[in-house]
Amino acid sequence: MIAGLSFLAPFALIALVALPALYFLLKITPPPPRRLPLPTLPLVKDLLGKEREPARTPWWLLALRLAAATAIILAVAGPRWQPQSAVNTETGTGPLVLILDDGWTAANAWQTRIARASAILEQAANRPVVLIPTSEEFPAMTPETATTALSRLLSLTPKPYVVLRATALDVANAILQREAGATAVWISDAIRDDEDKDTIERFLKHAAGRLEIIASPAAAVTALSGINQSGDGLEALLRRAAPRGEASQGLLRAYDDKGRILGDATFSFAATATEAKAKLALPIEILNDISRVDIADEKTAGAVQLLDAGHRRRRVALISGETTDTAQPLVSARYFVSRALQPYSDLREPPRGSPDPIARALEERPDLLVMVDIGTVSGETAAALTRYVENGGMLIRFAGPGLAAASDNLLPVTLRRGGRILGGALSWDKPQRLGAIPEASPFTGLTIQPDIRIERQVLAEPDAELSRASWAVLEDGTPLVTAAARGKGQIVLFHVTGDTSWSNLPLSGLFVDMLRRCLTLAKMQANAGTQAMNDAKEKLPPRLTLDGFGALSAATAKAQPVETRHTAPASAEHPPGFYGPPEASLAVNTLTPQSRFAAIDFGAARVITMSDARAIDFRPMLMVIAALLVIADAIAMAVLGGALGFLRTSKRALVSVTALAFSLLLASMVAPESAHAQTPPPAPELDIRSIRPEDIRSSLRPRLAYVITGDVRVDEASRTGLTGLGQILSQRTSLHLDEPIGLDPARDELVFYSMIYWPILAGQPRPSDKAIRAIDGFMKQGGTILFDTRDAFVQRPGGQPTAETRALRAMLAALDIPALEPIPQDHVLTKTFYLLDRFVGRYAAGDTWVETLTGPRDAKTPARAGDRVSPIIITSNDLASAWAVDRFGSPLFPLVPGEPRQREMAFRTGVNLVMYVFTGNYKADQVHIPALLERLGQ
Amino acid sequence: MASNNMAIEEARAIPAFTKGPPLALTSEAARLADVLPHLVVEARNVAAQLQLGIHGRRRPGPGEEFWEFRPFVAGESTSRIDWRRSARDDRLYVREREWESASVHWLWIDFSASMHFASRLAERPKRDRAVLIGLALADLLVHAGERVGMPGETPPLASRNIIMRLAETMARRKPGTFDPMTADALPDTLPIRRQDHLVMIGDFIMPTEEFAEKLARIAHRGVRGTVVLIRDPAEEEFPFSGELEFEGLESNETWRVGEAQEIAVKYRERISAINEELRRIALKNGFGFVKHLTHRPAAETLLTLAALIGGNAA
Repeated sequence: MIAGLSFLAPFALIALVALPALYFLLKITPPPPRRLPLPTLPLVKDLLGKEREPARTPWWLLALRLAAATAIILAVAGPRWQPQSAVNTETGTGPLVLILDDGWTAANAWQTRIARASAILEQAANRPVVLIPTSEEFPAMTPETATTALSRLLSLTPKPYVVLRATALDVANAILQREAGATAVWISDAIRDDEDKDTIERFLKHAAGRLEIIASPAAAVTALSGINQSGDGLEALLRRAAPRGEASQGLLRAYDDKGRILGDATFSFAATATEAKAKLALPIEILNDISRVDIADEKTAGAVQLLDAGHRRRRVALISGETTDTAQPLVSARYFVSRALQPYSDLREPPRGSPDPIARALEERPDLLVMVDIGTVSGETAAALTRYVENGGMLIRFAGPGLAAASDNLLPVTLRRGGRILGGALSWDKPQRLGAIPEASPFTGLTIQPDIRIERQVLAEPDAELSRASWAVLEDGTPLVTAAARGKGQIVLFHVTGDTSWSNLPLSGLFVDMLRRCLTLAKMQANAGTQAMNDAKEKLPPRLTLDGFGALSAATAKAQPVETRHTAPASAEHPPGFYGPPEASLAVNTLTPQSRFAAIDFGAARVITMSDARAIDFRPMLMVIAALLVIADAIAMAVLGGALGFLRTSKRALVSVTALAFSLLLASMVAPESAHAQTPPPAPELDIRSIRPEDIRSSLRPRLAYVITGDVRVDEASRTGLTGLGQILSQRTSLHLDEPIGLDPARDELVFYSMIYWPILAGQPRPSDKAIRAIDGFMKQGGTILFDTRDAFVQRPGGQPTAETRALRAMLAALDIPALEPIPQDHVLTKTFYLLDRFVGRYAAGDTWVETLTGPRDAKTPARAGDRVSPIIITSNDLASAWAVDRFGSPLFPLVPGEPRQREMAFRTGVNLVMYVFTGNYKADQVHIPALLERLGQ
Repeated sequence: MASNNMAIEEARAIPAFTKGPPLALTSEAARLADVLPHLVVEARNVAAQLQLGIHGRRRPGPGEEFWEFRPFVAGESTSRIDWRRSARDDRLYVREREWESASVHWLWIDFSASMHFASRLAERPKRDRAVLIGLALADLLVHAGERVGMPGETPPLASRNIIMRLAETMARRKPGTFDPMTADALPDTLPIRRQDHLVMIGDFIMPTEEFAEKLARIAHRGVRGTVVLIRDPAEEEFPFSGELEFEGLESNETWRVGEAQEIAVKYRERISAINEELRRIALKNGFGFVKHLTHRPAAETLLTLAALIGGNAA
């Protein structure tokens, strides 16, 4: 028997005994064949005696079914492989002390811990047992039976706070010392708080030899130690007790108070790191809604940080009395204050020099208004400020020369005229340090750096209320920060400047902390207008608390109310959770950034790792195998029964189906690799068979082409016209053209043709995109398209465009065509073969347009040409109809107006056009021949 | 060789034919009544189709309504004188019933269970085809001046409406009298006289010896006849494959075949041998023999039959 293999329901294995029976049963009951009626049965039933015997179940089908049955039986039995830790509970004769860590760190793999603990308790059934959960304040020292211990064990849950093991370990130690035969087992999470170090070492030393330790790896637990405001969001601090040895990543999730996910952020631990940071960068409105951040998939209370109002970002307006042209802006009060507040708030500063900055700042409804050395506020502005404060706003003022000089009523205390200079040339007082922070002050708990010196300050008129109004005082008791409630809001006065000229307070961390406390207060006021937070004596009752697995639920009965300025990490009395009313909750967290924890050094003690204890459950695997076998059986039955008879009868079909299945399998395996290895596909080779014979013919001899419009008469006119023109060309020029060809630009290759004649039909649809692309390419490659709207007869100068013209315009709108002009008299077209002054066709009235010539117009040069042939020629004279001749050379269409030489001129137009297209600007150069000859001296 | 798509064809017996319970049989009778109207129409069509084809071979002779009067010969019984005719002139006439001497065709159709089989290769069960051929043949014969009856059920009839008459007879059978389970594959005794012509339509699934014996018994009584063997194409071709269990229609026995394809050749050989044997027996006993496969048109077989019977009758 393999060690560690166990069955959930071992009795199911008895069914395996039935397998041989099943074997015989299956063997004698072959799959039922299909039943068919056959009337001729009496005639043929003697045909084959052997075949009448019931067919044997094929051996492979038998094996298949037996395997399926075995798989199902095994699956029911629930085999699982569990490397049994060799915890030896037999050695001891006295009680067994079972120490179980149940702090927040134990929530990780809690079920496994309990499973291991119960396994140990079951093993030690005949020994007295002392079960000591480490969180227990007063652990029982008297042994109990394993059964009672087991029931107690099963009722344990991990605690949501840091558990110190001192008590538990001391008790365990005491028992071990008292009872000589006692042994101990410690199911540990291997993580300790710093305070526990000595206790644990002592215990390990004393218990050496009698202690077995089962520990989960310390690195398995990731804690979310704190959430800090950073410049552009929240920064989460993640810690581990020990580095994991490999880089690992995780995901932080932020939720609002209703549990909706607001955002997430990834964090990654380096291989040797025990700390990581993650940044939740979200818009401030969303940031303010975050009430919980946790590590996804980490189910411990330590992986959760609850956020209360203290984490909400404040909107702060900063107004400075400084002038725009501050000489040293980096040592100005404004700079110090903004640096202190920037990371924790949404700081807004009205641009310097803007008129009435206070009113402007108030418009943005800040939670906190900071005024740096603004002496007197008066009139409308003072009223607005008062209203703001009374409605719950918070005003922080810094003293300064301006304030010391003048006074207004927006101050918490009455100031004495003139300031106080300490340690100056005219003073025998030394610069003062800060005194202890008064008890009721919101600054309670802040650390006072001893090197803070106050050299100057403004002084308050002493009165009875002054000490209560003081939030911070100097050593001699003079107030440094005073505050007073005004309406729902509050006014805070720093009796020093925001810069370093009066004190070095702005350089200290205390300055930042003070301002942060003020920020917290500001939100409280803005939110609820409650004074609860100001009152240190008021206690906040627990509302929701976290359990050990990090789930929020109604407060446990043990939870005690906390003080309003509770900052300590959670404890048994104050479990983590939300305290106080929903609108002004205080969050208590399992961990604070100050919480430190480390891996326990078990020293020489033998430690059984717990991660090994994760059992492998074979059930799903077996179920899948059984299901596959059953499916295979069904297919086999179908094949045997003849339902897939063609597979059997036709070998070819069988082969092809098998081949298909294999190729699919291969393809699925090979495909990902081949995708990687794939080189760019080779350039498509030209397949000679794919070339149409028409194209070959077109490439061998030049020919004119026309676009097939779909109108038979127009197409016929185009064809006969180009034929007629071709005849004229071969008669009069050296150009011998092949038969004209009709084209569909969307389908046919245009590259073989120099000139394409395109008659425009009224209302013809716009060519397809493919055709447009082909035409565009054709014109760009140097081809010429001769558009013929054939509407010169109906055109009216300056009148509405005809339907053909509109169709042409619609088509050309999609094309990239050059600027056009009517053929100028010096255009090379007028001289390519014949000297022409107009270009006529069936009609004589229409203009012919070509690409605008860009060259300089020179009266002396008889012909101009661009560097290229115009890609587009537009006429309306219906050229093809004028050229159209029948087989006998007789013209097919009458001409309008029918001048005597009109048809001849039409042909000449055609000849010139074709020569222009074929020879380009050659004729334009020809005009220089006389000059060239002259230069050659002939 | 059966094509692949034939291989996946099934065979069926109509209706969902369960052996044993008589319920199926009464409903079977009802079903025959259901299909009869269609068969009647079809038979008329087929017969009409063939009327022209056999018209030329019709023998000249007295029609069915013909009454022959011959002069009274002295010495005959006076009771035979037809007085009405004789009253017209001075002579005496005797009415002779000429048709009594015309030949009589008896139509016997096998309604046994095996006839209720149809494979998917054929549209109709064999029974329907047998009825169709029988009715159409009766019509043709009647038009040729013969009389047709069903032994034991109708006298020989010469009605122009013979199809209707016979169909009604078949439809009106009392449930139970024609039990497909017990119906004979070949009649033992028939109320037929010598020189009558017996057309037997059926599948004759029985040992050939039994067939030979029964046919010989009929033939020895001086009855001529024709055997029309109806077969479903599936019965001939055996287009089955895979492991199958065949069940007989008239008995409870089954026949399991491991691989139907493997015995197909043997099966075909056996069936064709049996067919050949049936033909031999029929011919030996002076019977005509025609085989009809139900996926072939009925007219084909009918034409052969008409030629065969017509020739015999002549």
